[in-house]
Amino acid sequence: MKLWVYVVRRLILLIPTLIGLTFLVFALEHAGGTSLFLAAYIDPHLTGTARQQLVDELTTKFHLNDPVYVQYLYWLAAILQGDWGTSTTIRQPVATGFLWFMPNTIMLTAIASLLTWVISVPIGVYSAARRDSILDQGVRVATFTLYSMPIFLIGFALFFTLGTAWGVLPAQFNIDLILLPTIPSAWFDHTNSVSYPTHILALDAFLHGDWAIAWNAFLHVILPAVSLALALLAGIIRILRASMLEVLEQDYVRLARAKGVPERVVQNFHAKKNALLPTVTSYGYLVSGLFGGAVVIEDIFTFKGIGWWTTRAFLTDDVGVVMGSTLVFGLILVTTTLLLDLLYAFLDPRIRYE
Amino acid sequence: MMATVTETKARYDELKLSARVFLANKTAVAGLVIFLIFVGDALIVQIAPGILGVQYPNDVIPPQITQTNPECTGMPPEPPSIAHPFGTIQYGLSGIGCLDLLQLVMKAIRIDLAISFFIVLVGAAAGTLLGVVSGYFGKWLDEVVMRVTDVFFSVPFIILALAVGYVIGRTLFNMALALIIIWWPLYARYGRSLTLTTKEATFIESARAAGSGRLKIMFRHILPNVMPPVLVQISLDVGTVLLIFSTLAFIGFLPSGALVPELGVIANIGLDFAQFGYWWTVIVPGGIITLFALAVNLMGDGLRDVIDPRRRS
Repeated sequence: MKLWVYVVRRLILLIPTLIGLTFLVFALEHAGGTSLFLAAYIDPHLTGTARQQLVDELTTKFHLNDPVYVQYLYWLAAILQGDWGTSTTIRQPVATGFLWFMPNTIMLTAIASLLTWVISVPIGVYSAARRDSILDQGVRVATFTLYSMPIFLIGFALFFTLGTAWGVLPAQFNIDLILLPTIPSAWFDHTNSVSYPTHILALDAFLHGDWAIAWNAFLHVILPAVSLALALLAGIIRILRASMLEVLEQDYVRLARAKGVPERVVQNFHAKKNALLPTVTSYGYLVSGLFGGAVVIEDIFTFKGIGWWTTRAFLTDDVGVVMGSTLVFGLILVTTTLLLDLLYAFLDPRIRYE
Repeated sequence: MMATVTETKARYDELKLSARVFLANKTAVAGLVIFLIFVGDALIVQIAPGILGVQYPNDVIPPQITQTNPECTGMPPEPPSIAHPFGTIQYGLSGIGCLDLLQLVMKAIRIDLAISFFIVLVGAAAGTLLGVVSGYFGKWLDEVVMRVTDVFFSVPFIILALAVGYVIGRTLFNMALALIIIWWPLYARYGRSLTLTTKEATFIESARAAGSGRLKIMFRHILPNVMPPVLVQISLDVGTVLLIFSTLAFIGFLPSGALVPELGVIANIGLDFAQFGYWWTVIVPGGIITLFALAVNLMGDGLRDVIDPRRRS
């Protein structure tokens, strides 16, 4: 199969998933009548005739008295146009909130994945190459323990030790609160605490040449990112180690050794590259853990991304945000998995023939 | 008659070999021992809580504590000591203190184990059955089931559980229900892939040639062969599911008034204080969760050796 045929097939398979995902969110929002749905679009302080008028408007707009599939189509149309309801936590349209908080989460997860990859590849390879050595056994005990920890414990342990108790790194908010008033209002909206143009504070300060703020904001990313990486890397190391052990038994590795290729080259060239391939696909599964973990970690470190916003919304009955997050996280996960699959097909032609 | 005797003997030998393979794995045995301690605690608290000195197994705060121990109101958490090996916690910043953490942990283990097993067993039963049926029939049914599982896999676990839980209501039972809803697809896929390989085996062909119906082949021939790996998966998942639902409870899934002795809830209560130096209020419940998940993972690894013929020698 040619690569482009594979890509097209993979894209076609995406259609039922996307329909299913949007329908799932629609079904959740409309479960047990229209009350949840209306709560997502109507300000709870609104009462009496003003509220009734809005209810009537929404009923006509979303065709709430028509069959379910008609309702779904009108709902989908509104979603595609960015009409996601109004958030009570930020007093803004839900879609605006996602634009504000999403870049922070993307940065956090990107740094965490990069850290995970950079740390776990050498450890996994090294530990497999020196199987049953003291170091390998240490790695196995450490990964096993880390793998069994709830993510909040990992987050809290770093928050407490490096953050509060020893004060090595800042552990709360996206910037020291004391610096907040000093940010120039030219690129920072002080009422909503949103920076422009990228909404990532460290990056925006950097773009505007405010080094002190950029550095401080950057320090605030480290602990959440490291916690998230720690939560993920145990799984990756385990997969990588197992895959490396399998590859090291293959005939071509034996042949390379037999013809006198130095062991270091055999490990890093012949074995490592082939061991990494299956890890790329498992990494796709771990992406789910990455975004799920981001929710917990952002909550612990009060790091203002969509995870933090979602838990806040969940606790304060901000329906539009809870539903919107399900859709947004779903879309992010679907897209990332798709990209990883395509990358895998590109790297390993064998996959296209299955 | 003769045949049954040899069959029983063969089955007995098989069991003996399995036990030997498992017992040879020291870490797996250690995992089993810890697991049994957890189960023992849960059973004792269920049947005769007095043996462990546990009172009011369903409450975080013993009723009437404000009358019997008025000095406890506003008492800050105390560090681990001989009287309180795990220390104590306080509920709310000026709320009731001197809640013994060891007692709470012993109560919580019963509830946590019950929820874990409930979620995994119901999810596994529903998922595996659906997977076997869809894998055996194939065609459109298989296609539909797999696309539905795709949808469930397209949202991160925790987010989907939050959304489902929000819609059906934030109670302990609904939290379990929400996790079953996100858990069955895993088993549907696993059961299906196991069925697909078993389906091609010669003994299935001979059963079909002998005139067995579809239902008989599915439930008498395929299901028994699918069960062992599914059971190992169940044993591993009991730990994983505890990690997920305690995390949900930790971020506040249950409304703050619902004081159930559950490890995630206890850690959540402790978090109010932990940042001021009372570290044990989060580390102890978190550590207990880790210990359980670790024990289950070690045990599961040993069980995998037992059922994988390539790994037993």
